[in-house]
Amino acid sequence: MTVQEFYDEVGGDYNEIMSRLRTEDRIRKFAGMFTRDESYKALVQGINDGNVEEAFRAAHTMKGMCQNMAFTRLYKSSHEITEILRGNDIDSAKQMLDVVTEDYNIVIAGIGKLLA
Amino acid sequence: METMEKDMILIADDAEINREMIKFIFDEQYHIIEAEDGVQAITAIAEYSDRLCLLFLDLLMPKKSGLDVLQFMNDEDYINTIPVIMITGEATDETDEKAYEYGASDIIYKPFAPNVVMRRAKNIMELFEHRIYLEQKLEKRTRQLRESREKIERSNEFLVNALSSVVEFRSLESGEHIQRVKYFTKLFLKYIMKIYPKYEITKEQAALIVNASALHDIGKIAIPDSILLKPGKLTEEEFEEMKKHTVYGCELLEKFKQEDNEFYRYCYDICRYHHERHDGNGYPDRLEGDAIPIWAQIVSVVDVYDALVSKRVYKDPFAVEEAARMILEGECGVFSPEMIDCFTMAEQELFAATEGEFSFADVMVK
Repeated sequence: MTVQEFYDEVGGDYNEIMSRLRTEDRIRKFAGMFTRDESYKALVQGINDGNVEEAFRAAHTMKGMCQNMAFTRLYKSSHEITEILRGNDIDSAKQMLDVVTEDYNIVIAGIGKLLA
Repeated sequence: METMEKDMILIADDAEINREMIKFIFDEQYHIIEAEDGVQAITAIAEYSDRLCLLFLDLLMPKKSGLDVLQFMNDEDYINTIPVIMITGEATDETDEKAYEYGASDIIYKPFAPNVVMRRAKNIMELFEHRIYLEQKLEKRTRQLRESREKIERSNEFLVNALSSVVEFRSLESGEHIQRVKYFTKLFLKYIMKIYPKYEITKEQAALIVNASALHDIGKIAIPDSILLKPGKLTEEEFEEMKKHTVYGCELLEKFKQEDNEFYRYCYDICRYHHERHDGNGYPDRLEGDAIPIWAQIVSVVDVYDALVSKRVYKDPFAVEEAARMILEGECGVFSPEMIDCFTMAEQELFAATEGEFSFADVMVK
């Protein structure tokens, strides 16, 4: 799978990431790091525990990473859940989490193929 | 000793990806250290403060936030030596305000363009370096100036002492009269500053007055030996001439005057007025009461005291208590109530000084 294909599949912006990181090797390296990041887990944990603060921070971090990586689709859902959590609404957050999870899984699966 | 080579950049962010995004921009030219949370950041800053030339700080971090780290930098004064660039996904005015308030140099929003980050970082680092360099230069200059000034002050003091000693050699009085007058003047000033703040004498002024007191009798150079060294009582004519040493002293000083500054004022006033009396019966101008500058009043009393307790060509020394009594009871000149007060307060110290440190053959030993 090429990097361009990967970005198309996960709903990301290939041009943006290329202008930022310049080389495909770098993009691959960063993609690998993305899979190691614990923010998604922390988000899920936070919501399950009812810990709004933790969840908010995790969502916010994830949003930031998606921005940096130009994962546009996942960025949008992360952004939305961040705002929900900022408003302290755990219940709405639980619902949004489903969307986030779906987008996240697509990205992870994509990276798996990219780095295979 | 110039500063150590500053070659380190600290990147503090809880997500590895975010740190990497910045790291790759700089890692060829700089040594990068990373922190995952506020606590690690603080530890790193403390440890590497003299090598850090830049700090990238995320606002939201576990354990301690970016603002907490900024607070720490303010408390320990690192904020003035290490520039901080905040990186954040937040774009609220509130957090911006806060970050700048706490001393951040710049704020960069995610996602950022690496080139822009590099340029801004370089600009900021250069600015800081330049400012620190200027501050160091300024500090050095200030120190040099102060040292020069101190040197000049010491020269002046030496010259004043030398000048006044010339008089002493001629009048064959104790070689230390000048030193004692200076010492007693200093003592008196101490009490004046304590008891009479109304005269508003500062420590700097006091130092100048003490130096000026050394020249009080410089006019005696112009008095002929026949009068200056006469062992017996002076005739009326001779006394009139002797009194003129006040005025002669002023004429001399005017010749040497470089500018009308504070020190010159003190020298002139002391020279001219140290024989005036509180009741207006003194000389040369018959000034009365508070018209007599306080510094002249002090030297006046001190001069009389020293004359009483020292041997002169025309008399033997008195005992310290006797000298004090004569002054307090107005037998030797008339002084203001403030001077009398101060004299009383300073008495014990005066006696101790007279009989101890500055005791010489011509001062009567009890």
